[in-house]
Amino acid sequence: MDSKLVERLKKIVGAEHVFDKYEDRYCYTYDASFITVGKNEVPELIVYPGNKEEVAAVLMLANEHKIPIIPRGAGSNVSGGTISRNDAIVMVLTRMNKIINIDRKNMIAELEPGVITADFQTQVEKLGLFYPPDPASKAFSTMGGNVAECAGGPRGAKYGVTRDYILGLEVVLANGQILNVGARTMKSVAGYDLTRLFVGSEGTLCIITKIIVKLLPLPEAKKTMLAIFDDLYKASETVAQVFMAGIIPTTLELLDNIYIKSIEDYVKIGLPVDAEAVLLIEVDGDAAVLDKQIGIISKICKDQGAREVKVAQNEKEAEDLWVARRSAFAAVSRVRPTIIGEDCTVPRDKIPEVVKKVREISAKYDVIIAVLGHAGDGNLHATILTDERDHEEMARVEKAIEEIFIATLEAKGTLTGEHGVGRAKGKYLHLEVGKEGIDLMKALKRTMDPNNILNPGQMLGE
Amino acid sequence: MQWEELEKEAIRCIKCGACQTVCPIFKELEAESTVARGKVNLIKAVIRGDVEPNENFSERMSWCLACKACVENCPSGVKVDQLVIGARQKLVEDKGLPFLKRMIFRIGLRNRRLFDFGLGMGSVFQNLLFRPAANGQGMLPRLPMGLDKRRVLTPLAAKNFTSRCSEINTTLPEEKTVAFFTGCMINYVYPEIGDAVLKLLKNNGSSVIVPKNQHCCGTPAYINGDLSTAKELAKATVDTFCDLEVDKIITACGSCGLALRNEYFEILSDELGYKEKVERIAEKTMDIAEYLAQKGLQGELSQVNKEVTYHESCHLGRGLKVRKQPRDLMKSVPGVNLQEMKDPGRCCGAAGSFSLSHYDLSMKINKYKTDDIVNTGAQVLVTGCAACMMHIKDGLNQGDNSQIKVMHTAELLAEAYKKDK
Ligand SMILES: Cc1cc2nc3c(=O)[nH]c(=O)nc-3n(C[C@H](O)[C@H](O)[C@H](O)COP(=O)(O)OP(=O)(O)OC[C@H]3O[C@@H](n4cnc5c(N)ncnc54)[C@H](O)[C@@H]3O)c2cc1C
Repeated sequence: MDSKLVERLKKIVGAEHVFDKYEDRYCYTYDASFITVGKNEVPELIVYPGNKEEVAAVLMLANEHKIPIIPRGAGSNVSGGTISRNDAIVMVLTRMNKIINIDRKNMIAELEPGVITADFQTQVEKLGLFYPPDPASKAFSTMGGNVAECAGGPRGAKYGVTRDYILGLEVVLANGQILNVGARTMKSVAGYDLTRLFVGSEGTLCIITKIIVKLLPLPEAKKTMLAIFDDLYKASETVAQVFMAGIIPTTLELLDNIYIKSIEDYVKIGLPVDAEAVLLIEVDGDAAVLDKQIGIISKICKDQGAREVKVAQNEKEAEDLWVARRSAFAAVSRVRPTIIGEDCTVPRDKIPEVVKKVREISAKYDVIIAVLGHAGDGNLHATILTDERDHEEMARVEKAIEEIFIATLEAKGTLTGEHGVGRAKGKYLHLEVGKEGIDLMKALKRTMDPNNILNPGQMLGE
Repeated sequence: MQWEELEKEAIRCIKCGACQTVCPIFKELEAESTVARGKVNLIKAVIRGDVEPNENFSERMSWCLACKACVENCPSGVKVDQLVIGARQKLVEDKGLPFLKRMIFRIGLRNRRLFDFGLGMGSVFQNLLFRPAANGQGMLPRLPMGLDKRRVLTPLAAKNFTSRCSEINTTLPEEKTVAFFTGCMINYVYPEIGDAVLKLLKNNGSSVIVPKNQHCCGTPAYINGDLSTAKELAKATVDTFCDLEVDKIITACGSCGLALRNEYFEILSDELGYKEKVERIAEKTMDIAEYLAQKGLQGELSQVNKEVTYHESCHLGRGLKVRKQPRDLMKSVPGVNLQEMKDPGRCCGAAGSFSLSHYDLSMKINKYKTDDIVNTGAQVLVTGCAACMMHIKDGLNQGDNSQIKVMHTAELLAEAYKKDK
């Protein structure tokens, strides 16, 4: 990159927040996805702006020189959304990490994009408030990254996903303009809903510099239980039954035998390694009603053939189960080195059918596919355990994934529930949104970012 | 060793980024290359031929405290510290050690008598070079000698511990016989901790052998990639201790304990005839707190009225998993009130020679620790590691908190016993 330009960037964000050494830049060629690009796509420069003005100034310069900008939070996305390219500047937003205010009267909060999700949750919970979206990566993901991916989490079954909590945003557009969208009120119909457009835009439309979220009162209590099944199909049929009984559990997670075994191997909390599936179920709310709800769910599970139902007796037992669940993704990486976590999502009642299909596909292509679903919201998380160094196997993996996509769409589901399109699913997007959908998205992108500098190549593949 | 040998471990990193939550270095330096995920991927890049193992790479490998916070937090259990140490070894093999470390490890450490003599002479000359710091908490350098002039160091002892105590210290009634591995910090800088350890052991029914010809455990050399020096020191230690007829080998420093219990397997893995000896040593090694906690403090305990807070040294806590024992022991002493600090397991930034080579960075990391200590309102900071003690003292001093006393767990516990038995 032109050294004058580097100097100007250093002036904008401060020299100590610019990294230009090759070894430092190299470390932005990967994120948590299975995609790594290596030495051919090492970005030109890394900048860490400290406020919206700096973000705007960097974007103006980049726009003028048509230099791609790759926004980045904690780099924990699993869709390749922050993978670098060799002509780009990576803009990391982690320095902007202040919680600006938590407004108890209006139950809203304003914060910068670099705030770590779990830190924010801890702060609001101290005040008796609640920010529900809880990606398993919450201990390290940033709120900006959560908004840009519209992250979800186990609690999605009852509480929805990030988008359901975003009232408004402050964003910087590709040309450096600073824009406020949305409102501080629970309702607002002033114009197109640009907030929703930006949530989940994967860094392709704007840089998010401030987030206004809505909060809930912190539920008084929760109860966690585990239902153990000898039959994966029966376990998956149970999911819809629970909802039909009029109970919306906070979370309802389905783990198959591969997950059970690898998690137990790792955390050793006494999961039943011989079970075909377990359902991890949590209900929350008024303490008085929880036992009744757990009772009803236990009965449904038993009627569906669960061999055992265990209710966590205290917070520690419940937390153990959640620690186990949160370590799932990494625990299976002990089985094979490369983990591809798919996140196809289907209507709840289609879970048994698609789970069965995934099993067939796994056998057909002889690849290990584990299932760990946020089953409560239909998010299946078929997980392919493979080895990226084995090209022959990777070819089979690709075919298997394509068939899972087709099965998902046939079940009227969606290709990605929460991980985002990124680089990983760009070429399949048309299957779901159609040519018309792609054309409209491209037109929007061109209007808002005519020089195509914001995360080019992501999502729409150009 | 070849770079490729590191690949098997490195490839287990799934790049999730969980280490960002806990790495103290990354919190200061903010670049991805400074967090565990970055370092592991740089090592992979060297193996793949994408990155040269040059100065920049070497600098990034130096930015690791070996505090194991990332290892403990890693969902895939990647041994990041072992990878970084492996990379350092390879760099030392290819390019040698920097001058200062070469002098210390190769010439000083390898020769016990020269080391004793050097440090003994050091204690005579140090008054010329250092001036006392406030509240009797250590000393400040008078001249810039490659040490930061703000730095408060604890003076070297006039006479090192092993030469001033007798080799065999019996007690009555005798239930057990143990050997005491002092480690360098206790032997040369804080012999009073050694006294406390002896007093505790004897009051708790253990006769103590303190072998005179014991030396450094080798950890400083090992962590810095100087495997050949580490091997020599490890062999010397193993040879000195493996045939002693004792029930246990007691350490009072997390790093020494970790070396004897775990790291010698790695360090001496290809040394013929050492496997069985290393196993024997590992099996017998116990930290003083761990040892005493088995039965709890015996005998009559007198009142020790102190508000204390406890810092978990990295190698004692995450390394040897000794966390509960020192706390239980302290709480069993009448009058001791333990106030937990916010994040007792956070590294204090000392990390052995890291604080020499990266003083400013290590002090920034230290600041979190001293703030947490001050916030408890405790009068005494207790920890199980002498290197942490020195660094925390320095930080407290520079932050005008020298009124807070710094003690080893053994020293606090020993105060409960009136008599040396
Ligand atoms: C172990 C593990 C578990 C996970 N569990 C879940 C889960 O349960 N649910 C879930 O939804 N996801 C999960 N994820 C994926 C990931 O954590 C989420 O996508 C998260 O939202 C990414 O946040 P980040 O800060 O790491 O963002 P990054 O990965 O750095 O970036 C993600 C995207 O957001 C863009 N971006 C980042 N910051 C900004 C900004 N300020 N302005 C504009 N664009 C920006 C980037 O360009 C990129 O496209 C998991 C990941 C891992 C490794």
